[in-house]
Amino acid sequence: MAGVANTWGYGAMTNSMNDIRHSKCIFMLGSNAAEAHPVAMQHILYAKEVNNAPLIVVDPRFTKLAAKATDYVRIRPGTDTAFVMGLVNEIVTNGWHDKDFIQKRVAGFPEMCEKASHYTPEVVEDITGIPASEVKRIARILATHRPGTVIWCMGATQHSIGSSNTRALCILQLVLGNMGVSGGGTNIFRGHDNVQGATDMCVLSHSLPAYYGIKDGSWKHWCRVWDVDYEWMKSRFHSKEYMNKKGFTLARWYQGVIQEDKINQYTPIKAVVFWGCASNSQSQYHKLKKALDLLDLVVIIDPFPTMTAAACAKDNVYLLPSSSQYETEGSVTSSSRQIQWRFKVVDPVHDSKDDYWIMNEMVKRFGFHDKFYKNIKKIPDDITRELCKGSLTIGYNGALPERIKKHTLNWETFDVDTLKARGGPCDGEYYGLPWPCWTETHPGTPILYDISKPVAKGGLPFRARFGTEHTYWNGRKENLLAAEGVYNPGSEVKGGYPEFKNIVPGTNWKTDLSQKTIKEAIKRGMAPFGNARARCVCWNFPDQVPVHREPLHSPRPDLVAKYPTYPDKKDQYRVYTRFKSEQRPELVKKFPYVLITGRMVEHMGGGAETRSNKYLAELKPHMYAEINVRLANNLGIRNGDMIWIESPEQGRIKVMAKVTDRVDEKTIFLPFHFGGMFMGKSLEANYPKGTEPYAIGEPANIVTNYGYDIITQIQGTKEGLCQVSKA
Amino acid sequence: MARMRFLCDIERCIDCNGCVVACKEGNGVPVGINRRRVVTINEGRPGERSLSISCMHCSNAPCIAVCPVKAIYQREDGIVLVNKDICIGCGYCFIACPFGAPQFPKGDTFGKRGVMDKCTFCAGGPAPTFSEKERRLYGQNRIAEGKVPLCAAMCSTKALLAGDGDKISQIFQERVARRGTGAKAPGWSVAY
Repeated sequence: MAGVANTWGYGAMTNSMNDIRHSKCIFMLGSNAAEAHPVAMQHILYAKEVNNAPLIVVDPRFTKLAAKATDYVRIRPGTDTAFVMGLVNEIVTNGWHDKDFIQKRVAGFPEMCEKASHYTPEVVEDITGIPASEVKRIARILATHRPGTVIWCMGATQHSIGSSNTRALCILQLVLGNMGVSGGGTNIFRGHDNVQGATDMCVLSHSLPAYYGIKDGSWKHWCRVWDVDYEWMKSRFHSKEYMNKKGFTLARWYQGVIQEDKINQYTPIKAVVFWGCASNSQSQYHKLKKALDLLDLVVIIDPFPTMTAAACAKDNVYLLPSSSQYETEGSVTSSSRQIQWRFKVVDPVHDSKDDYWIMNEMVKRFGFHDKFYKNIKKIPDDITRELCKGSLTIGYNGALPERIKKHTLNWETFDVDTLKARGGPCDGEYYGLPWPCWTETHPGTPILYDISKPVAKGGLPFRARFGTEHTYWNGRKENLLAAEGVYNPGSEVKGGYPEFKNIVPGTNWKTDLSQKTIKEAIKRGMAPFGNARARCVCWNFPDQVPVHREPLHSPRPDLVAKYPTYPDKKDQYRVYTRFKSEQRPELVKKFPYVLITGRMVEHMGGGAETRSNKYLAELKPHMYAEINVRLANNLGIRNGDMIWIESPEQGRIKVMAKVTDRVDEKTIFLPFHFGGMFMGKSLEANYPKGTEPYAIGEPANIVTNYGYDIITQIQGTKEGLCQVSKA
Repeated sequence: MARMRFLCDIERCIDCNGCVVACKEGNGVPVGINRRRVVTINEGRPGERSLSISCMHCSNAPCIAVCPVKAIYQREDGIVLVNKDICIGCGYCFIACPFGAPQFPKGDTFGKRGVMDKCTFCAGGPAPTFSEKERRLYGQNRIAEGKVPLCAAMCSTKALLAGDGDKISQIFQERVARRGTGAKAPGWSVAY
């Protein structure tokens, strides 16, 4: 998401699931929507059937989605940037790029082309394993079927160059002129129903809600929203330095306990709270388990005890049984930035309590109940109201609880193709008020950066976020604002303009809580965040233009020399993170197979919930590893045999072999939903009696490798190495 | 009179098993009994196709023809049902059925089978409509409520269609006609 936000302003899906129905071409890379997003498939298959849209699936694995593809491209894991930049190069070389769009709305194009020119079809073939002729053919399909949409998921992001992969995909869409139009866009499918909501609320270690960051100004903004004293807030921290310092991430927090890598914090971590989070979805799980056994306190708030509870060998665990989503209510935000109200179906059962009750009791005991709930009298409505009030950056301010409920209760009045209500109480509004929803009468923004509509009716230009001018490495200076003639209908300024500020002195559109600034902008037909160009060059990234770098654990030592990874990072989210010193070309001799992980449709996340459902457990009772027929035969492994899989980090798991052609001869695939086993041993006895899941198995993440993205520190679970042997 | 049918659109089925789980949860079907299954061919290879299959509620149903105790009957709307009070668990219907639809609970001794269970098209059974007995022995009666069967209602891609045969064949024909993928006639892709 960092790559996307740094290209054009917001790090979210630009169009919507439904809008895919208008696509003339669907390019999916690192996504297995047929298993991970089955409901979205109805829109994808609709476009494929009705628009005759080619469905191009790029994946190391012939997935269930690939079974529905018109064009399947098998790619070597970790080489997505090389492939996508190769497509960009092929499109530009043939003059198929959208010259008018690029001239008016894109920055850094010549500089990007200079870097992309390295990726000729032949170079791409060497890096990715995709034949040069295929690179040319796919580029031609993309060029001749516009508007097309680009879809990706964790197959694109979970790499040491994940943020380059996402930027390369954005650049592909800019070059094709597929942005800001129906049927185009970058449609990044989020994992669960409220992942976008959780991201918007920044359940992350480097930002306050709504992407405000953690600088002084950000804290002061939210303290004003919460109506608490900034000085009091400051007093709650160890020191001011830590108030503004990025925290540990989900991927590496356990290093804060075991300290195998040097940490930059005054103390090791002593306690951890898992609130609806599966620890077995984190890489190098055997190291995370070490941390669990060192901690003073582990709190698990979940409807099920989870793998985390079973993994703890020490008596340091507290289980707080929380109720499911059907036993509580509140707002949720979908992948398409749409907000919906989830109503309660039944009261909590089995002595569970809903999350609000648990939070309330914890806050009471911490002693700042009065401050925490200052603006919150009615739960959850007032929580939504408060977050709307403060989240001006992403325009949640118009999505008040009453409006959200009205949409949810009248969803039959919205059109499935356009998401717009035709008549009824929400006439003219878009379903779920897709953010930004700038005012209490704004209809929501169904497609980001669409300049064909007035801003007041859901249109927007690209966001002005990166200054107004930039000088590139070659000395070329470029105005970063949009060209003359690029504006939304009714705009006072007929070209680019910077963001709105000082309408209320000392504030800007993001910090003016009176919302006068936003209203003024809308009144003048303009976007509060300005009107700029999207960037092909991100000067704040280590690679200003996405370039290929071999995975840390690469099966191609020859390419490591040619495309080495980054230097080590001393303080990345409070921990020393190895890149260069971890890239050992000799590793492939002992660990010859590439390891990738992914989802299966029957289970979800860490699987605590789905493996405790008898019907889902019946459908998929066993953890398994997919292994190619040829490789299995060469190793003397038969379908159903138990095999050991070992990682360079001394992780090992014993799983069932599933002999299949889905993966190629060099690749092993593992689903990551299992838990309840640990390196060959059952942990079933560790579950509280009666809560053992119906299906248990080894967590795939025991064998996923070291490796993290250079910007976001997301774990590189789609590009490791492993060894396989018969058990 | 409507003739109830299932139709699974092979271009749309993604093998998500949503139909299977919806059927089991909604009708309280025991583990081990499958009123509906998703069958996949060519798994992991080009040409992979999936199909959701259950009792097809045949005209001239062979299960009815072979049942020695006349436990199986066909309603006027074509739905084939079993009367569990009459069934003796002989298994002839299982052998006669071309789709493998009839299911039997696993007994501990050879030949000891419970009564046959199969897809009811979510139309309950011979017990009084909406009665506790109907629910316990056969599951929901959604047809009597004016709803489509659970499996089709749950289908994420609308691959599985259920209802009046004329209507669903019309939906399917329209879908095929709208598909821009050509007639798929032999030789079509190479003709000029």
